[in-house]
Amino acid sequence: MIDETIALTARALKKWVRNPAAIMPSIFTATFYLALFGSSFNPINLVPTQINGIQIPSTMIQLLKTAFRQSFGGAPTYITYLTAGVICLVLVFNMAFGGIDLVEDRQNGFLSTLLADPIPRASIYFSGVLQNLVKAAFLAILAFTIALFVPNGLKLPSSFGVVDLAGVFSAFILLAFALSCIFTALALSLRRIDSLVAVVNFLTLPLIFTSSALFPASSFPDWLKAIAEVNPISKASEAARLLIINGSLSASQLSTFTNDMVYLAVLAVVLAALGTLAAGRVLRAE
Amino acid sequence: MQHAISPRNGNVHGANPTACWKAGRDSQTRRNDGHHASTDSDLASDAQVVAVYRWELSPGEPETAKIIEAEHLTKIYKGNVTAVDDISFEVDEGEIFGFLGPNGAGKTTTIKMLDTLATITRGRASVAGYDVRKHPGAVRDSIGVVPQELTADEELKGVENLMLSAKLHHVRGEEAKKRGDELLKLVDLEGAAGRKVKTYSGGMRRRLQLAMGLIHTPKVLFLDEPTLGLDIQTRKNMWDYIQKLNRENKLTVFMTTHYLEEADSLCNRVAIIDHGTIKVSGSPSELKERLGGDILSIQVSEGPDLTEFFRTIPDVSAVTRVGEAYRIKLPRAERALPAILKGVTDKGLAIKEISFTKPTLDQVFLEITGKSMRDEDESARGPAWQNDTTERMN
Repeated sequence: MIDETIALTARALKKWVRNPAAIMPSIFTATFYLALFGSSFNPINLVPTQINGIQIPSTMIQLLKTAFRQSFGGAPTYITYLTAGVICLVLVFNMAFGGIDLVEDRQNGFLSTLLADPIPRASIYFSGVLQNLVKAAFLAILAFTIALFVPNGLKLPSSFGVVDLAGVFSAFILLAFALSCIFTALALSLRRIDSLVAVVNFLTLPLIFTSSALFPASSFPDWLKAIAEVNPISKASEAARLLIINGSLSASQLSTFTNDMVYLAVLAVVLAALGTLAAGRVLRAE
Repeated sequence: MQHAISPRNGNVHGANPTACWKAGRDSQTRRNDGHHASTDSDLASDAQVVAVYRWELSPGEPETAKIIEAEHLTKIYKGNVTAVDDISFEVDEGEIFGFLGPNGAGKTTTIKMLDTLATITRGRASVAGYDVRKHPGAVRDSIGVVPQELTADEELKGVENLMLSAKLHHVRGEEAKKRGDELLKLVDLEGAAGRKVKTYSGGMRRRLQLAMGLIHTPKVLFLDEPTLGLDIQTRKNMWDYIQKLNRENKLTVFMTTHYLEEADSLCNRVAIIDHGTIKVSGSPSELKERLGGDILSIQVSEGPDLTEFFRTIPDVSAVTRVGEAYRIKLPRAERALPAILKGVTDKGLAIKEISFTKPTLDQVFLEITGKSMRDEDESARGPAWQNDTTERMN
């Protein structure tokens, strides 16, 4: 099982590496969101210095700026707040479309050949998930690096260390794993690429916009806030954001981080089980 | 040229390559119609208990003597579409067995049931001695499958496709490399192995797929329309490869084709399938002989009527005279030719023209089904579920 999964994963990654165009959309998404969207919208700059020609005292301005900053988790720049969300966004799109190769494999008969091979059928599913995880890790690193190089971009606290970095990427990988489990099973069940595109677009945009990936949930209406609180994209981006903004976490922050990670881990296990069952049904002989 | 491809299979299947194959109506009659399955079940209950026990541990040793057995095999797809309707046949080890029929006849569906890709609605089948339903894993381990679609990954190199196939068939390390080199040489792809498959021609891709299907030295090779879309030269090369594998390695080949000359040239036995049922089966020469043999046409100089003389030639079944031209029906025209020539010249007549034609499998198909298979191919595609590969796959 492991050997077959690795062999099929290696095949997929070989093709991915040989096709640099495949990662360009992710680079564009990360760069445009961080460099253009992130730079154009800085909530701190919305704090007025005067109202109706009356100068606001500087202490008041500082107070308002602090309040705004705290709404954004204490991030020194909006891009610092945004980075985790944009990485989650890149991962959501890549995991959702990650099964496109499987649909192509079905269309061109490669999947049919695999099903006649003496391999566990689950290895086809797990290789789909595993290749997406490798891609996710690479894309997360890439987007994180872009954020660091954007002018006035990601500013890490001085206490931020390797363990924090590992924590940040653990949140991303758990999210990617959970999403890949379900979207890979979905791709295996579809016979047409346009069906996958339709389903993915239907699912991903609501998933992103009901999360706190781009804006704090505190600004949401109650109904949206309730959805955002259980949205795995919110959990992953907020867990990563806690470390990115604060580095060393306080006891309450650590508790929030741990809860978010446990939530993601449980979700990943549940979706992996559901995805495995669904893939098993789909890959049965007709 | 000798190739060091050793057959993994021994002779455990009790091969008798000359007399063990029955199909179609004969077979069904012999098997006492619909009562056969339950009778077998009753008789084999002890064996099945053993088989179930073995399944929990391993598929065990092959359970039957024939390399392929199908009994009352039936496939009904959703929508109550019967693709294969109660067919029975056996294939001996070392045979090249052809399923011949037009598009949509049920050839691919039969292969898909035998190679475990499609469930069997009714009946049973065993491949390499393993029951397809009970031990699909053991069956997959024993077979090579070359589908009619060009499925090699075109973004990978030829050798990468081959090595992937090796890994998925648990052929590793040096053995995989050695076997891969041998097969690339066999299918004349040594020079192109390092190129991406997307640069290959259709013929090269088919040859690569043939090599991929053989990397683990299967006992049975399933070839689904192996020369579909190839030009005649490439097609003949493929025939050579298949014959070589069969001859040198005693590889059993189960192939489907709708090229009549392909079946005629390659197969030890064929079954003609149409609308899901086997219409007739036997060796190509047997089937053609059923038509009454060759037609010898001879035109002689003016003289006495030779009809009675021609009827005295051994095995002649019919003689027709039109003027000075005669049409003589006989099993093997070439054997009777010297006697005919001598008889005509002894009677002082000159031969103006002489020729003979051999019956073809297309004529057999015409005789059996009342239509030409070539016409069927051109005019009648099967239902979408039979032609659309994405629909067939599941």
